Amino acid sequence: MTPACRQIRKNILEASRASGHGHIPTSFSIIEMMCAVYDTMRHDPKNPQWAERDIFVLSKGHAALGFYAVLAQYGYLPVEELKTFGAFQSRLGCHADRLKVPGAEVSTGSLGHGVSVAAGMALAFNIQNSPRQVFTVIGDGESNEGTVWETVMVAVNQKLDNYTILLDANKSQIRSLPLDNLAARFVAFGCDTIEVDGHDLAALQAALAKPREAGKPRVLVCHTVKGHGCPTLANNIFEWHRKSPKPEELEVLAKELEAA
Amino acid sequence: MRKQFVVTSSELLLADDQVVVVLGDISHFQFMGLQNRMKDAGQPQRIFNMGICENAILSVGAGLGAQGMFPFLHTINPFLTERCVEQIKLDLCYNQFGANIVTTGASFDYAWDGATHHCYTELAVLRLLPGMEVTQPGNPKELDTLLRSQYRNGKPTYFRLSDHSHPHNFPIQFGKANILKETPGAKVTVMTAGPILGNVAEACAELPVNLVYFNTIKPIDHEVIARFRHTKILVVHDAHGLQEAIHEVPDLSVAYHGLPDKFCVWYGTVHDIRKTIGLDPAGIRAAVQQRLA
Repeated sequence: MTPACRQIRKNILEASRASGHGHIPTSFSIIEMMCAVYDTMRHDPKNPQWAERDIFVLSKGHAALGFYAVLAQYGYLPVEELKTFGAFQSRLGCHADRLKVPGAEVSTGSLGHGVSVAAGMALAFNIQNSPRQVFTVIGDGESNEGTVWETVMVAVNQKLDNYTILLDANKSQIRSLPLDNLAARFVAFGCDTIEVDGHDLAALQAALAKPREAGKPRVLVCHTVKGHGCPTLANNIFEWHRKSPKPEELEVLAKELEAA
Repeated sequence: MRKQFVVTSSELLLADDQVVVVLGDISHFQFMGLQNRMKDAGQPQRIFNMGICENAILSVGAGLGAQGMFPFLHTINPFLTERCVEQIKLDLCYNQFGANIVTTGASFDYAWDGATHHCYTELAVLRLLPGMEVTQPGNPKELDTLLRSQYRNGKPTYFRLSDHSHPHNFPIQFGKANILKETPGAKVTVMTAGPILGNVAEACAELPVNLVYFNTIKPIDHEVIARFRHTKILVVHDAHGLQEAIHEVPDLSVAYHGLPDKFCVWYGTVHDIRKTIGLDPAGIRAAVQQRLA
């Protein structure tokens, strides 16, 4: 784990403790994925509305705390503000509101929406002959939604090769509707599909930088661990789904994180 | 009205390079000529027959609207509205992304297909969504006026089309009601919207009532409604939505003559359905006379 990714996770733990709101494990599984995107795409934290920026959409909106912590790390938000997560009149709701959060491009929460809006943005850039790229993070649970697959069909048919889905394959859906062979599914749908260790930042960066297959949307199937970095979380993902740590639990989790 | 949509949107496509048409696998044949001409001229593709995937069409439309385009999203009414309420609520209204939703088939153009193709709720539901504009043009000329005045405003706007236009011709404006008949001392004001005006006007021709016509359900014209608040109002409409909108003005006496609380599954034509539920001229006349009594 890189020092930056460790620091982001530490900020998430402290914000969760201070705010009383959770969704820590799902946030922990996508930190390297989001960092790889923010390291790759063209963006300017000092000017979040920069007209030539690339777009990132967190489609699995319940990982908002992780998203905010990454935005803070990249200069969009003060780190201290993370502790207002979910508080009355905070900018930082438990799902992101694009009208309040610098760097949030789409307000998400209900699953299977951001991924589709992001495809529309990619289509707009194609029409405009613009080099702007669109990246979106979806979950394996979210991939239960039919709209994900409708959108993949549309993206393939419209040849959106400026559109990248990063799928957080954290296996949380073992509880209900697991999707085996995810990469094969996206290949079958016609996507330029790459499987990668979702916690290997260098591998993620390399996958994003790899030359694209012309006319195909790219899918990175990122194999991750829900709660990555803290065995207490990773081994108890259902107990910790929404939970906020008590002071003594925070101490344990912080120590685990330091050792990761 | 569907032909007029093709004509108006085609003109706008040629005049405005931010216009995009997204079709849900209907009306594509009517756009093919223009699509080929634009392609031959080396212009970027801006007419997409996206497929039978209405939820994706709505969300993709929101993404297009978010990035500087003015999309027209078009297919058969209930599939693009009632099926897609969450996409309209979240991807358009909550996000404040603009798109023009243009449906066809209301309310009973597809009477013969049964309730799957009928539209019962969408005007009422969509008007409840914050930031939404809801229109119901009554004929091609009204549609042309509304499309041109609203398509570029960056808001989610709904246009409800039917192939059974009313025959009347008067100028309209988005958000403004038309007072089509004002009878001195009238105790009843009939209020209606959209294509059913043809039957309503015929029914009211010889009756001592006022007649008010709406092309826009949201925002509803409060001023005109308030002007007739001293009268008994009868809303005659082949949909839900107008009567609820009229109630935005407080302290009115409103009755509704329109859809029953059941699916109108008798097949046949729109005229058969209207007659069966009392929305033919004779049925409307009887309802107005009852309100006058």
